[in-house]
Parts: sequence; C-alpha cells; structure tokens
Amino acid sequence: MKPSRRVRVTSPQTRIALARRHRPGQHLLPLPAPADVAGARAAFRRQRRLALATMSGLAATVLGMSGLVAVLPTLDHVGVAGVPLSWLLAGVAPYPLLLALAVLHVRRAERAEDAERAEGGLAVDERRDGR
Amino acid sequence: MTGIVAIGSVLAASLLIGIYGVRAARSTSDFLIASRKVSPRWNAMAIAGEYLSAASVLGLAGLVLKNGLGTLWYAVGFTAGYVAVVALVAGPMRRSGAFTVPDFAEYRLGSPRLRKLSGCIVLLIMLLYLVPQFKGAGLVLNLVSGTPYWVGVLLAGLVVSFSIVAGGMRSATYVQGFHYLVKLAFLAVPAVYLLVHAGADARGEVLEPDRATEFRARTTVEFTIDTRLEVTEPTTVERAPERGEPGEPDRLASGTHDIASGEELTFPAGAPVPEPTGVPQLGGEQWSRPLLDIENSGHPLLGTWSTLLALTLGAMGLPHVLMRFHTSPTARTARRVATGVIALLGVFYLFPAIYGLLGRVFTPQLVLNDATDSVTVLLPAQVVPGALGSVLTALVAAGAFGAFLSTSSGLLLALAGGLSHDLFSGSVPRLRVAVVVGTTVAVLIALPAFRVDINVLVGWAFAVAASTFCPLLVLGIWWRRLTLTGATVGLAIGAATSTGAVALSTVTTLDPGLLTLLLAQPAAWTVPLAFATMIGISLLGTEPDWAEHALLRLHAP
Repeated sequence: MKPSRRVRVTSPQTRIALARRHRPGQHLLPLPAPADVAGARAAFRRQRRLALATMSGLAATVLGMSGLVAVLPTLDHVGVAGVPLSWLLAGVAPYPLLLALAVLHVRRAERAEDAERAEGGLAVDERRDGR
Repeated sequence: MTGIVAIGSVLAASLLIGIYGVRAARSTSDFLIASRKVSPRWNAMAIAGEYLSAASVLGLAGLVLKNGLGTLWYAVGFTAGYVAVVALVAGPMRRSGAFTVPDFAEYRLGSPRLRKLSGCIVLLIMLLYLVPQFKGAGLVLNLVSGTPYWVGVLLAGLVVSFSIVAGGMRSATYVQGFHYLVKLAFLAVPAVYLLVHAGADARGEVLEPDRATEFRARTTVEFTIDTRLEVTEPTTVERAPERGEPGEPDRLASGTHDIASGEELTFPAGAPVPEPTGVPQLGGEQWSRPLLDIENSGHPLLGTWSTLLALTLGAMGLPHVLMRFHTSPTARTARRVATGVIALLGVFYLFPAIYGLLGRVFTPQLVLNDATDSVTVLLPAQVVPGALGSVLTALVAAGAFGAFLSTSSGLLLALAGGLSHDLFSGSVPRLRVAVVVGTTVAVLIALPAFRVDINVLVGWAFAVAASTFCPLLVLGIWWRRLTLTGATVGLAIGAATSTGAVALSTVTTLDPGLLTLLLAQPAAWTVPLAFATMIGISLLGTEPDWAEHALLRLHAP
C-alpha cells in the first residue's frame, strides 16, 4: 500500500503569519459572534472581572494559609488526631479549596459565555467554540 | 532484581502504548498536539501524569526529609498553578490557535523576532527542567540495580528519545495518562501500607517532631562527599578510613567534625543523628514548622511566599503545560480539563510527605550524605524487611521511573517544538532531529549533576517561567495596551534577573540573610519587576490598531 503523502503542517496562526508577514494585523481571523465590537468588549471585561476575582481568591488561599501558619505558632501544638494543625494546613487543607476555586471559576466563566452568546443573537444550538 | 523487573514492565507497557500511537504521528499536528483526538479524561490524566515529575515523586519526599515540613508548600504551589491556568490562560490560549508560547507571542504582537526570543527562553526553561528528570532516572536505576549513575542517565535518554521520535504527542498522551495511574498507585499503595506497618511506636515518633531524631538501629554511613557534621551529644562511633576496612572506635565530642569523602562511620542504635551544617536539625523546631526558611535566611514567611509565587505563576509559563491545552477540541474543554488536573494533583500530593515523614524516623542517615532524593525508593526496605519490602521498593521505583518517563517525554516535545517549530520552520523529520539534540544536551548536563537537589533545578525553571512567560501571557491576554517593545524588554529583563540570581546563589557563599533568600528564590522581586517593565514601557508607546481585535478574539465565546 502506498503510504499517505506527508504534508508540512504548521499552526493556523503561524501559517497565516508566514503568508502575510509584511502586513501585521492581517493574520487575525474575524471576530465571531458577538459580532459587534461593543458586545465583545463587554464580554472581555466580564471575563476579566471573573479572572481577577479568582486570582484574588487564589492569593488569599495560598498566601493566607501560609501566613496563618506564620503568625499563629500555636497551630504547631494543636493536634487533630495527633497531627499538628499547621501540618494539615500545609499538606491537606489547600487541595479541596484550590479545586473549589477552579470549579467555581469554570462555572461562572461558562455562564458568562452563554449569556454573551444569547446577547450576540446566536442560536443556542450553534454553541460550539471549536475551530 | 524485582526492581528491574518492575521498571522493565512499566517500560514495556509504555513502549507498547507508544507503538500504538505511532500509526497516528504523520503530521506536525499529530506530533505536537495529538490532532485533538484525545478524550478529556485521558487528557486530564495525561497532563497530570506529565506534570508529576521526578521532582514530585522523588524530590518532594526528599525535601521533607532534608528541609522539613515547610517544603509541603512546594506541592501546594504546583497545584495552585493550575488554578491560575484555569482562570487566566487555558481558554484564551486555546482560542488563540497558537501551539506554543512563541506562537502566541507572534499572534498577539506580530513580530517574528519576539518569537525567536521566546523560543530561546523555552529552551532555557526546558533544559533546567529536563536535567533533574534525567538525574532522577539515573538515581533510581542506581538504587535498584546498582548500575552506575551515568548508565542510568544514558539509558533513560535513549528510551525517551526513541519513544518520542517514533510517536510524538499522540502516543505520549496515552503513555502519560497510563503513567499517572502508575505513579498514583505505585506511590499511594506502598505509602499507606508502610504507614500501617510502621507500627504505633514509629507513627508516634513521626508525629512528635520535638523529640531529637535517633538512629533506630546500628547504622553504617559511607560518606561519598566531604561533610561537616555538628554533633550535639558526644557519640561513640566506629570510624573506618575507607570502605571495607575495619573500623576503630572513635569518640565524637560535641562540636563540629569534618568527615572526608570515602570514610565510613557506624553509629550505634539510639545515637542521636548529627546534623550536617546548613540543614535544619531533623525534627527540630525549624524542621517541623511548615514554613520555608530558604538558606536559613531568617525570613521564613517571605521565603514561603516567594516560592509560592514562583510555582503558582510559573506553571502557566511552562511551555509543556501550555501546549497541552491544544489537545482539547474547544476552549471550554481546555478549561474543564485543567480543573480535572487540579483534582488529580490534589489526590497525588497527599502521599509524598508520608515518605519524608517516615524517612526521618527510619532513614535519617540519608541527610548526612546529601542523598535525600532517594528516600522514596530506600524507605520500604527499611520499614518492611524481606521479600515484601523489595516488592514495595520495586513498585515505588517503577512509579518513579514512570514519572521520569512521562515528564521528560512532554518536556522533550516542547523542547523539540521550541527548537524546530519556533526557531526554524517545522516538519516532522526536523522535530525528530530536535528531540535527539535536546536529549543529548540534557543528558550531557545531567551527568555531572548528581549532587544537585532535584527540586532546586525544578524550582529554578519555575522561577524563570514565572518571570518571563507569565507576564507575557497575562498581559497579552488581559491588557490591550501591551506593546512589542514592552514585551521584549520585559522578557529580557525577567529572564536575565531570574536566571542570574539563582546562578549567582549557587556559585557564591554569602552569610545567610535577606540577600541570600532573594538570590536563591528570586520570584518575589523578579516577577513584579518583569510585570512593571512590560507595563511601564508599553505605556510609553502606543499599541498597533489591530491589538484590540487580537485581544477580543481571545475572549469571544
């Protein structure tokens, strides 16, 4: 059997950029819905607010928990089932909190995207952002 | 022997899964991003499998043993990094259509030169990250089979480059997913077993760090490096000038003692473990507080925060992490996959600390010899003597080897991408050559790096990523006014300061203090500096008129 012919493939952005290097900005694909720039700006700002909120939560979690261990040395001597509380704060407690932060962010971001799509006038069935 | 069999089976299974993937690797798209035909579950497992490197499997337990509970924050930082990825980069990066960070740099700022600069930084980060992986592989093979360290490193290089050259990302994805399971099972099951089997007495000792650490049994330590020991209580030891020679009783008075490489000391059971200088006393106050007092600088909270900053923000800048999101079909799945990774990492990271904590009780001699990276592999035989112990050792060793295999495959792919996709134009034969070149360089650097702690190098890679690609991506994705000049200068300054600081801290010996801390873990100042540079210089210029379009495109659902 004849082996399939090998084709040189680059990422879509690279391909476009290579083809039109002399005209920067031309490599951008057109904006999909919401097509109007105002809508897209609002969507961007909404996502940025969400990202900022999640990052603040993240900073509060990791810096706050390590800060707690630093300012409350007594946590080293308070035990839960014999394990010092400060060890649990560093070794176990952060993980469920981090997961919760991420899940919450995904839910809020997706809800915001759904709302934007609805405003952009796109039929809900056409929801696919894969390109 | 069991160890070789176990590692052999993991290798064989990986090769089989890899060969299954060979059929698919026909184009650059297959090679780098698996043509997006991987299910989200496998993808999350593969990402976790790739991310849990030798640093996590071997290094974390070793760090807990050597530097104490503060090193638990390393694992927290590694996981928190994925929250930042979910919140800031996963979705927009997937929408940008860029495979790699340099690709993204060109998309957002439209400059092939910036792409080349980013490509060079990718190479730097990947090498810093690859070298400790090869060190881990050489170490594990050395421990389970006694082969010289360099044989293990060379063998590992051959295996990894072969499987990548053949299969690319598609095969790597399945292999790495398989490796997550191997790592979790082979680390978690022995950990629980050891914890149960160690007995109430040893568990009590684990939880009572205030008690000075003592040798549980008569222990012979063969010193392979010159060491300065601080002895707190006079101890009678048997001292032999060289291995195999009869030891003479010698009384070590309290104070410092210099032990030359090659000497052999035998400590009686119950003798307190002496401290090598520069390492916190095992089980002492500093050791058991969960804060990272880097280089004994006396600023534990600043050290902890600087490390957390480097790891949390560094994760999003790691080229092999980013490339992964393009194996998802849509931006939404990319975000969800990243969330799945957090769950998988959280489960895994509960276990390395167990090895470190048990290691303090059962194998404290590793600290004397600066060989704490091997605690995970050596511990089972100490807790459970006999055949079962060697089976457990074999499992752990195979898990560690799996860690090495999957991480280094991912790293090599990203390295190959950096070499050929970003610096030259990409095609599959060139990618394959790039993989071989990358492996060769990493192996050559790993050969003399036997004494460097795995996590020192990995932490360095994270600090560089946090000071370069993190500001580039965050500002590129969320700030319209970023300009080409701002990004370029910021990248250059971030790379130079973070690389230079850690390099300086490894070659100089200064008195411990704020300066040593800021050199050893520079993220606390290099990350803000890189951000400030990019923002400041961008504000001086004006962005091109298509910048807003490029930005909005990243967030359009």
